[in-house]
Amino acid sequence: MHPWPVKYLFAQLVSSLGRESARLELKWMKQALSPSDPPSAIHAMLDRRLRGEPLQYVLGTTPFGPLNLLTRPPTLIPRPETEDWALRVANTHSPSEGSPVSLLDLCTGSGCIPLLLCHLWPPGSTRAFGVDISPEAIRLATDNAARCNIETHITSNLRNVFTPVLGDLHDPDLIHLLEPPFDVVTSNPPYIPKREYDELPPSVKDYEDPRALLGDPPESEHRDGLTFYHTIASFIARKGILSDRAIVVLEVGHGQAEAVESILHHTARLRNTEIWSDPWKKKRVVVARV
Amino acid sequence: MSYPEDIARARQIKDLEPLHEAWTSWVKTKESLLDTLPLLKDPDVTMRSLAKDEFTALKDSLSTYISTTFPSLLVPPSQTQTFSALLELKAGVGGSEATLFLADLMRVYTRYANSRAWRADVIQSSEVMGGGMRDAIIEIKGEGAYDVLRWETGVHRVQRVPATEASGRVHTSTVAIIVLPLSEEAEPSGDDCLFKMEDVRIEVMRARGAGGQHVNKTESAVRLTHTPTGVTVSMQDERSQHQNKRRAFQVLRARLMDLKFTKDIADRRATRQNLVRTADRSEKIRTYNYAQDRVTDHRIGLSLMNLQSFMEGSGMQEFLDAMKRNWEQEVMEEVVNEGNLRR
Repeated sequence: MHPWPVKYLFAQLVSSLGRESARLELKWMKQALSPSDPPSAIHAMLDRRLRGEPLQYVLGTTPFGPLNLLTRPPTLIPRPETEDWALRVANTHSPSEGSPVSLLDLCTGSGCIPLLLCHLWPPGSTRAFGVDISPEAIRLATDNAARCNIETHITSNLRNVFTPVLGDLHDPDLIHLLEPPFDVVTSNPPYIPKREYDELPPSVKDYEDPRALLGDPPESEHRDGLTFYHTIASFIARKGILSDRAIVVLEVGHGQAEAVESILHHTARLRNTEIWSDPWKKKRVVVARV
Repeated sequence: MSYPEDIARARQIKDLEPLHEAWTSWVKTKESLLDTLPLLKDPDVTMRSLAKDEFTALKDSLSTYISTTFPSLLVPPSQTQTFSALLELKAGVGGSEATLFLADLMRVYTRYANSRAWRADVIQSSEVMGGGMRDAIIEIKGEGAYDVLRWETGVHRVQRVPATEASGRVHTSTVAIIVLPLSEEAEPSGDDCLFKMEDVRIEVMRARGAGGQHVNKTESAVRLTHTPTGVTVSMQDERSQHQNKRRAFQVLRARLMDLKFTKDIADRRATRQNLVRTADRSEKIRTYNYAQDRVTDHRIGLSLMNLQSFMEGSGMQEFLDAMKRNWEQEVMEEVVNEGNLRR
């Protein structure tokens, strides 16, 4: 038997989250349990949550548009801001079997962005690659593809395909694992500057992979969180990466949109750019068209 | 392939079916009656008596056509006959006892829906300590659910000794219910005749600070405001903002459609002395008296004993049928009166 009754753990959750949120979270935990789980499972969940673990890791899944994706520490939990712009990309493009698109998602993490597009776009219209440096992320993205019933290798022209690729953006040989040119390049690269990273809430800093959050690796010359945008801009500037109708969609941190826009202008020589705001009115995405 | 005009025609044929059926069998019955007339004078006694029985039976069924079947055809086919329903429940007076009764009523409607093979989903609820609910929205999916359940709109009053009451005093508390029409035909978030997208303000609730990678808190609450009418809908029960938005649009659409129906009826009443009364939402429609083991509907003065069977969902049908008959009668009277006025 667990020493604390659920009622007591719930009261603790109320005092840390407020009644309304605690009530909803308890309800979602109960929904996430399966009938075969032992009665102690709800205690274990409440316990993990009370220690500060993100709800999405405790529940093991997170909704992302119409999808319900797996979440596993330490891979970055898909955010609602990302969900919002990925849905917007899905709605503003309409590839078809006759006019398919090739898609590249850099720093793919859970695979949420390409999986959503593969799910929403018609069968046989989308060939996607997702690159990540973390083996855990690639495993999770592969598991998520299976969960969403998206192929990871071409078996038929009637299916959309998403291939997770373990690789480093700096590696000149990465290109050989992909099939350029790409019509759509998306990315939610790590963008948090070190000084902000140090101030992050524990549920982010103590549980999610710093490699998915920290914009500037320790050896980088930058301190503004923008290292990855420079790397991505140089990568897509290489000949043959972008098709002649390509669109590039990059998520950015608060206050970074204009700087990223200018990196795309100068390094990637993409002049046609715009900025999208998220539902909370923050400038969240820089979009560039060839 | 089916074309829109085919669908419209098929619907028209289906609407006319009861009329056609009634007329055909009326004509047939009348012919049989005429056929029995000569046999009434048959020399054979047995034959005469058989014919007499037959004559009585046919005469009775012709009277039924005149008194019941034909008038019921005056009731125009419902425009909402395919609609599902949303039930909005709100605890009224009576404190925690009202919230407990609300939870009881939710079970009643869920059981009733199941008995009709309709799907019932609680899409919004706010539980309070002690097992009660402050408010709830139940989606009841099934063809005709709205037409059947719409009579439940109004204030439901309970008189009983609360489980929480030590002194054994009888309390009176209330729960207000509104039944909304839910049409599956339209895209929940698309434009149509009910509202324009540009008139709907979509707000995500609560600030997220820097947002994005900085925050991994679940924040899925959504609020819609329809500016021309001021109708607002908040949804937060789903983990997904996307889902909450879809649900909120569904509820908004149902509330606006309900407003439109109410307005249509008011307009008709203004132009043509309408006899059919609309339920006043603040009107007390039903009392559940536990001490007397009785449920009473105040609109039609119908009382049913055995409250327990009602709460288990089986007594509900009797009230709903009575309300439907009552409504049809009012509509018939209206049609007849209109005819008189015109003359």
